[in-house]
Amino acid sequence: MYKRYHLETSPAPLSSTEMGKFVIRRNDNCFNCGRCLKNCIYEVHQRDERDRRKMAEPVSHRCKNCFACIQHCPQQALEMVRNEEYESLGNAYWTPQHILTIWNEAEEGRIPVYGAGYRGRFKGSGFDAIWTDMSEIVRPTRDGIHGREYIATAVDLGRKLPLLSDFERLDDPHFLEIPVPMLFEANPEGRTAKNIIRAVVQAAGQVGTLAYLGPDDYFDELEPYLPSIAFRFGLDQMAGMDSVPWPDVGLIEFILPEEFSFLEVERILFRLRGLNPRMLLSLRVPNHDLSDSLFDLIKSSSVDMLNLRADSRGRCSEGELFIGDSIRKLHLSLIKRHVRDTITLLGQGGMAAAEHVPKAIICGVDAVVLDVSLWVAAGCRVCATCRIDGCPARMTSLEPDLVVRRIINLTCSWRDQLLEVLSAMGIRDVRRLRGEVGRAMFYEDIERESFNFIFEPKPLFR
Amino acid sequence: MKTITIEPRPSRFRSQIGRYRVSLGDDCFHCGLCAELCPYGVFERREGFNEVTAPNSARCQASDCKAGPFHCASQCPVGAIKIEPSPQWKTLGDFRWTPDLIISTWRQAETGEAPDGNGEYRIGASGGGFDRFDFILEASAPQSSPEADGVDTSLLLNRRGEGPAIRIPVPWYGGGMSFGSVSLPTMLSRAMSARAWGTFTSTGEGGYPEELIPYRDHVITQIATGLFGVREESIKRARIIEFKYAQGAKPGLGGHLLGDKNTPAVAKMREVVPWASLFSPFPFHSVYSVEDHKKHIDWVKAINPEALILVKVSTPSDVDMVAVGSYFAGANIINLDGGYGGTGAAPEIAKKNIAMPIEYAITKVHRFLIEEAIRDEVVLMASGGIRTAYDVAKSIALGADGVMIGTSELVALGCVRCGNCESGRGCPRGIATTDPDLDRQIDPKWGAQRIINLYAAWQAQLKALLHRLGLRSIGELRGRTDLLRYTDEK
Repeated sequence: MYKRYHLETSPAPLSSTEMGKFVIRRNDNCFNCGRCLKNCIYEVHQRDERDRRKMAEPVSHRCKNCFACIQHCPQQALEMVRNEEYESLGNAYWTPQHILTIWNEAEEGRIPVYGAGYRGRFKGSGFDAIWTDMSEIVRPTRDGIHGREYIATAVDLGRKLPLLSDFERLDDPHFLEIPVPMLFEANPEGRTAKNIIRAVVQAAGQVGTLAYLGPDDYFDELEPYLPSIAFRFGLDQMAGMDSVPWPDVGLIEFILPEEFSFLEVERILFRLRGLNPRMLLSLRVPNHDLSDSLFDLIKSSSVDMLNLRADSRGRCSEGELFIGDSIRKLHLSLIKRHVRDTITLLGQGGMAAAEHVPKAIICGVDAVVLDVSLWVAAGCRVCATCRIDGCPARMTSLEPDLVVRRIINLTCSWRDQLLEVLSAMGIRDVRRLRGEVGRAMFYEDIERESFNFIFEPKPLFR
Repeated sequence: MKTITIEPRPSRFRSQIGRYRVSLGDDCFHCGLCAELCPYGVFERREGFNEVTAPNSARCQASDCKAGPFHCASQCPVGAIKIEPSPQWKTLGDFRWTPDLIISTWRQAETGEAPDGNGEYRIGASGGGFDRFDFILEASAPQSSPEADGVDTSLLLNRRGEGPAIRIPVPWYGGGMSFGSVSLPTMLSRAMSARAWGTFTSTGEGGYPEELIPYRDHVITQIATGLFGVREESIKRARIIEFKYAQGAKPGLGGHLLGDKNTPAVAKMREVVPWASLFSPFPFHSVYSVEDHKKHIDWVKAINPEALILVKVSTPSDVDMVAVGSYFAGANIINLDGGYGGTGAAPEIAKKNIAMPIEYAITKVHRFLIEEAIRDEVVLMASGGIRTAYDVAKSIALGADGVMIGTSELVALGCVRCGNCESGRGCPRGIATTDPDLDRQIDPKWGAQRIINLYAAWQAQLKALLHRLGLRSIGELRGRTDLLRYTDEK
């Protein structure tokens, strides 16, 4: 029977994420007149419960930076200053803004909607150098924010069948449909905590997608969720293969080593295929530069999927090409070799905001793998050095159920934002967005197109 | 030509936000020397008082007067005056609207004059577009002189051979902000200043409140996809009718008014159920082609044959085609609304990522209209991130005829761009709210004078700039990209 896809969100507050960008300071010259209380509509200012004559300390994380209390104060006793704790979140790629946004999305499961125009930089690097396009008048019938239930976000993982020529030799279809173009990674960059791994895997099951996991991180409690687990193996982890109950696993990924012999890889893939013929076989590659022999593997049906893996800041190995650019190159070379439509291409690394999902898909992937963002949803602050013992977010002691809800909220919010972009474009199926660079404007192109004629002969670009 | 009266209208708040923090130490024995010295009014010792009042830090121009004869800190006999950068300064504003821009806009709204002092009042810090453009001014360019007064900044809003010739004295009008997204006093402030200046403001898509009828000759009425409050009498009332196809901040999505702000008064105007979130459809379901669009225009012309037709579209990559199509369907004015424009509520993902910034769209459309040989029959207005008089000039130099402004007017009314317009009771500062307690904060007469003052300051800057460029009218600036250069990226 037809069942409409629906993700149930629920508020999932987490006290470690109650953080404002700014801190309100009450200086000594305050004479407790209470005008701040009267003029604040966000309940930052209250009277002191123990002594009603006095004002209590401001609750800064509720503040929305409207300056009303500060400007109504007759004593100039209130001040707003930067919150150093907030500014120390993350790093240059995972900005405090990204982290706070994910926290809010994970708490409420909603699309961030605010007033006033865009407040950021004109453009940036990486995904910030891309604008998606929309269509003004010529578009399929749809209805703005309404009618979005008719937009499909499901994608197929696996190998598509070649053109049908002989019914007798018809292969079994060999793919898996996931309802959102997002897969999960349970322990990104060596972050390991059993409760979070369990929560990611469980959330993957509820969302209907898959969660990547190394064999070393598998433990028995995860058994009920086996159909939602995608195991990945490096060469050094092959020993762990025997402990996995293979018949229930849907996807397995082999991490292409830096140095490898083609024959050895082919033999490993053959062995993996032998574990369970219905299982999807993916190959993780470090960048877009694939050798001819790898293309042969794709042609010979030895692999069903490729996962282009960048680090958490979106940098691919060798030359530090940004993942978006790397995806574009790989997508194009797969097209040139006539194999793009036979396999599925995933991208992992640097997916720090909802907008990165449609942008990566426009660059050419079928689906993305979320990694650090899931941990951020659980409260992670992306510290420079991750010390799981002294974790400021106490990641290891979080209730898995709360984390599951927060991850589902995040997924729902990002899916809704994907729908938002698709609906603005007038595209009704996310599969049609793949590689659709005509629905995007790239900074360098548009800058040249609009301004270069003005400034010639001075070149604008290196 | 109307005479504009500039009157000082100080902020309605007790405390001001400034770049510096001035404090008096315990050593101060209130001799009052600082109050005598400071020309900016930081210190004051009121008649009959023993003590100097608490320093008004926001007025301090520290770096300007450091070496001057009236530098308080160095002349204080006991060295009790401390001037330091205010830690609060960095909490105000953002990349597009820097603290400098917000404060200088407030200042212009207060005084009606171009800002003095050392703040950067011309550009923001976004690192692209307008913020990287600069006018090429020869060293020998004439400095401001009384002759600059004679520069013509007026703009004709109808270039077709037929229909009324409406001319506005400044190359801008106010953009659509609906009743619901902003308060009635805010709408009235804008309408009163539009009448004083002889330009226009727009109702937005939330209907035409009766209180605006006295200003009918200066109010554009909007027909948007939700058709909220669109009535025959309001179409008959207006000299310019605006079709809003899309909005730059949320292109392709349709207007948003979240339930919290849909109060009974708003709902009555829009003919909807109170407290329900209103999402306008996108696009007009009756318009899927230029022919459909023409049918729309015919419908409006049948009701009000004298009205000029204004078409507001956002900036996808095919915006040039859309502009030409609008022209052939009968539009007099085409308004391109760029991706970084303001809004009462929009998904963050849409504001940043969908459609192009206005800077790109202007050159694209301007060129295409020239190639199609219709450039001089249509008026091209730009909007979506016009913050200063210099943004106005840059838009026009890129190829627009004029601009539409919105956020700057709200900043003149005291907006700090905190961005909390969308939900709850709306704007805590009384601008973008429909809460009857909050919207009382704005007195329309006060607000109107603030906007009048801002316009005057902008016009003066525009005239001075044109004069320095050796131009005699704003029309001569259009498309003069040779006068612009790109500054190095910071």
